[in-house]
Amino acid sequence: MMSINVAVTGLNATDNPAPGLGVIRSLHHPNKWEGTIIGLAYDVYDTGVYDAGLLDDTFMIPYPNQGAEQILERLLYINSQVHIDVIIPTLDSELLLYQKLQPRLKEAGISMYLPTEEVVKRRAKSKLVEFCKEHNIPTPKTIIVNDPANLTRAIEEVGYPLYVKGIFYEAFKCQTSDEVLSMFEKLRNKWGLPILLQESLNGEEFDVCTVGDHQGELLGAVPIRKLRLTDKGKAWVAVTIKNQQLYDLSCHILKALKWSGPCELEIVQDFNTKEFLLLEINPRFPSWIYLSTGANQNLPKLVVDLALGKKVKPLPQAKSGVTFVRHATDLVCPMEYIEKLTVHGELHYQHLNSNQG
Amino acid sequence: MSNILKTEVTVTESGFLFDHSTGLTYSLNPTGHFIFQQLQEGKTVGDILGQITEEFTVNEDTARKDLEDYFRQLREMGLIE
Repeated sequence: MMSINVAVTGLNATDNPAPGLGVIRSLHHPNKWEGTIIGLAYDVYDTGVYDAGLLDDTFMIPYPNQGAEQILERLLYINSQVHIDVIIPTLDSELLLYQKLQPRLKEAGISMYLPTEEVVKRRAKSKLVEFCKEHNIPTPKTIIVNDPANLTRAIEEVGYPLYVKGIFYEAFKCQTSDEVLSMFEKLRNKWGLPILLQESLNGEEFDVCTVGDHQGELLGAVPIRKLRLTDKGKAWVAVTIKNQQLYDLSCHILKALKWSGPCELEIVQDFNTKEFLLLEINPRFPSWIYLSTGANQNLPKLVVDLALGKKVKPLPQAKSGVTFVRHATDLVCPMEYIEKLTVHGELHYQHLNSNQG
Repeated sequence: MSNILKTEVTVTESGFLFDHSTGLTYSLNPTGHFIFQQLQEGKTVGDILGQITEEFTVNEDTARKDLEDYFRQLREMGLIE
């Protein structure tokens, strides 16, 4: 097999880990990836940069808010140094940018497998209720508040307890109008309007990591039940399951969206009615993606094949009963790593190791 | 009585039960484990009652009451119809 060089973003794994490291570990599974794995880091202290053996090279890249041209220029430079075949962006905030850059990166020989801009916008938090209604997909009662003057009426309609959710990130559970007002202001200042008020259901949380093709056909799906959550609501223990209802719902959602590429479906099961309701669609791999590989569905490798235009078949059903436990550990590294990234913006592990050896 | 098990489950020798459709786990005590094995083998209530009174020191009325109580719990957990 020809060796393929893959660049991956999202290397920071702290209390809200980015998916990049799980993607890279999947590429290395079961044997070390034959080509080069290139880490694209936003910060010198993105933790994954220091996880020995995961990466062959790391390059610093500008933050998405620096604009498409700056990022393109940097990616073309990286391509001239190490040659990139495929990029897997793993962060929400990068997606629109990479969609814009896709044709120009393709000209440079760099492939990706992404949903279209229109499709991504249809699953945005502010559009999700409309999308669910249109396709008969159950979702918790949600009111979109564009004007603070409508807040009281929205609270009455949703009822307590409820979640106040920012348009991009963050959600806070509230029991009183004072709490709602306070969180509304906090999220408005941070992420802007609109703000979403969503009913808080008494239920259990499930996730499904899926990959769809250009027609929204499901090529792989790994459903999990979250068993433990951090105080930020992130799963740190979960188990893969086999559930036909969740599988059917996932198929229906991807097909309705015509979703191509990876995405994470966040789903809650109402404790009383047992109904599964869609909470959110994240347009990327989840941070727990290595669990899918452990359950015999290597979705990152599938995405590399799709990006390269290979014909792929839907993967066999994932194994249920496989558990992940997230474990924080301390990595130590020589000062040269920090120096190379700070001064030169790039780090070539093999050169360093051979110089030290 | 056969096929009253609602979902795919794995039960280990120690009585640790994993429900594949929900991801929930349970620890069955030896009696509960014994009855569950009978259910997996498709035994009828009558068969299971007979087995319990044979294996354990208990009269049929008490065994029937306990069995009904156990089935109620399994139903609530979504493991049987």
